[in-house]
Amino acid sequence: MRRSRLERSAIYAIAAAFTFFAAFPVLWALNISLKFERDIITRHISLLPIPATLTNYIAIWTQSNLPDLMWNSAVATFFTVVICVFAGTLGAYSLSRLQFRGRKNVLLFFLILRMFPVVLMIIPLFIIMRQAGLLDTRIGLALAYTAFLLPIFIWMMKGFFDAIPIELEEAARIDGCTRLGAMWRVILPLVRGGLWACAVFIGIAAWNEYLFALMLTTSSGSRTWPVGLQLMVGEFQLPWGALSAGGILSILPVLALFAVVQRSMVRGLAQGAVKG
Amino acid sequence: MSRSLATRIAGISDTKAWPWLLLAPSLLLVFAVIIYPTISGIDLSFRQMRLNRMDLGIGYVGLRHYLALLDDPIFWISLQNTAVWVFGTVALELACGLVIAVALDYELPGMRVMSVIILLPWFLPLVVAGNIWALMLDSRLGVINAALQGLGVIEGFKAWFADPDWALPAAILVETWHGFPFFGLLLMAGLKGIPSELYEAAAVDGAGFWHRFIHIQLPGLRMIIVATVVLRAISLMNSPELLLILTGGGPGRSTQVLSLYAFQKAYREFNFGYAGALSVVMFLLLMTCSWLYVRYSNALRED
Repeated sequence: MRRSRLERSAIYAIAAAFTFFAAFPVLWALNISLKFERDIITRHISLLPIPATLTNYIAIWTQSNLPDLMWNSAVATFFTVVICVFAGTLGAYSLSRLQFRGRKNVLLFFLILRMFPVVLMIIPLFIIMRQAGLLDTRIGLALAYTAFLLPIFIWMMKGFFDAIPIELEEAARIDGCTRLGAMWRVILPLVRGGLWACAVFIGIAAWNEYLFALMLTTSSGSRTWPVGLQLMVGEFQLPWGALSAGGILSILPVLALFAVVQRSMVRGLAQGAVKG
Repeated sequence: MSRSLATRIAGISDTKAWPWLLLAPSLLLVFAVIIYPTISGIDLSFRQMRLNRMDLGIGYVGLRHYLALLDDPIFWISLQNTAVWVFGTVALELACGLVIAVALDYELPGMRVMSVIILLPWFLPLVVAGNIWALMLDSRLGVINAALQGLGVIEGFKAWFADPDWALPAAILVETWHGFPFFGLLLMAGLKGIPSELYEAAAVDGAGFWHRFIHIQLPGLRMIIVATVVLRAISLMNSPELLLILTGGGPGRSTQVLSLYAFQKAYREFNFGYAGALSVVMFLLLMTCSWLYVRYSNALRED
């Protein structure tokens, strides 16, 4: 298609403006995290951290409990991903590949579950977890996370299963494979990429989660980093430089994982959300 | 032994129970952590339940909480703020998402990298996003204040989140930053699905940018726009996180939304019964949206 130079320039300008809008806050946090405190608390705001320092990173890592908080988050995230991958992959496979009565209703059921109000669940979950001795534990938190992540996982994963031609499985069955054999040896290896993407998506969401963690953790033994960092902002009034450093450190895993599987994760999201 | 187990499972896999067996772990989980809590949450809304006043017992109080709701001015303010918050944010995000999707659909050199960067805010934690923006809008050190003052838009540094007129719009801006990539992502995927013959035919007719947008792209995206708008409205209604981080509902009640009010009733005042009633109201609102979604999107088509 032929496009005028003016049109191209205008489009570039728009795209660049949005890229700037999206990236600037993160770059700004990076900038603040590398500055000395005296260069932060000033009205002469400089756009670059000159002179730069790593003091803030060292301070937040050694003088706060951020490492413990991040470890708690990592453990809760790990359990969440394991639970979702195990239960969700089997469920999504069933909903995508098998024909049975009630399939469509189950699918609809999982769709509507995604829209249940979180606050309505949080209150009884608090009571249930307390009775079960799971309040303020990382496994309890992981179970709560599956409440809002498992339905999304199943819908995303179903999209990846749907993309595999049904003939492959039929061929395997004709060759004498049982249904289990066909699933385990033929289909699962083919969705590996999608599985990674969905797992990472679930992992990022669990790592970032704030509300459940705020309600369901009460001590530093299981408190996750978003809750801990917010406490540092509100109650302990930590200096901005150290807080920014903490924020940057805690989004590093997100950035790394996002960079690795971004392409297939985007595809999975598009399929799982609207099935365009 | 493990071999015999595998053979036994393989045997079961050819029975009628197999699909349900595979679904069992998921169904079990969602019944335990979604269905059961939701039902007991609805039950709670008809009970007296104050965690800090357990001497009052947990007996049924009928519709008392619901009647109290009707006389609670904060409930009505929250409802109103929720409407502004959801409509304002969705409208802004959709507009930004549309613009960026159409722009990136040109696929000019360098745009792949741009699209990855633009997607990033969607994956960032709200705790970090909220606090970065709080810092940028800070009344003493905020870079946005400095920029606006430099441009002559404002006279002095402004405490955006301390001004009842500006707190909600400022929060909407922050949420838009976080959420517009969601629209951009899905609309971009939708644009890829529009057959190129349509563009070619329009080009033959000498159609310009506007014609393409109004007569090809917008109609082609209709279903996706419906779906994304409803989904996003649901998630905005549902999550009080950003407002909890930025303002806690203040100043005054200017950023108090329904989900936040319910959460605070439970988290701060331990009034689980009343919080339950507030959540049930949300439940009804959300289920209306969800009905709209199922009815008007093609989420279940071809299944």
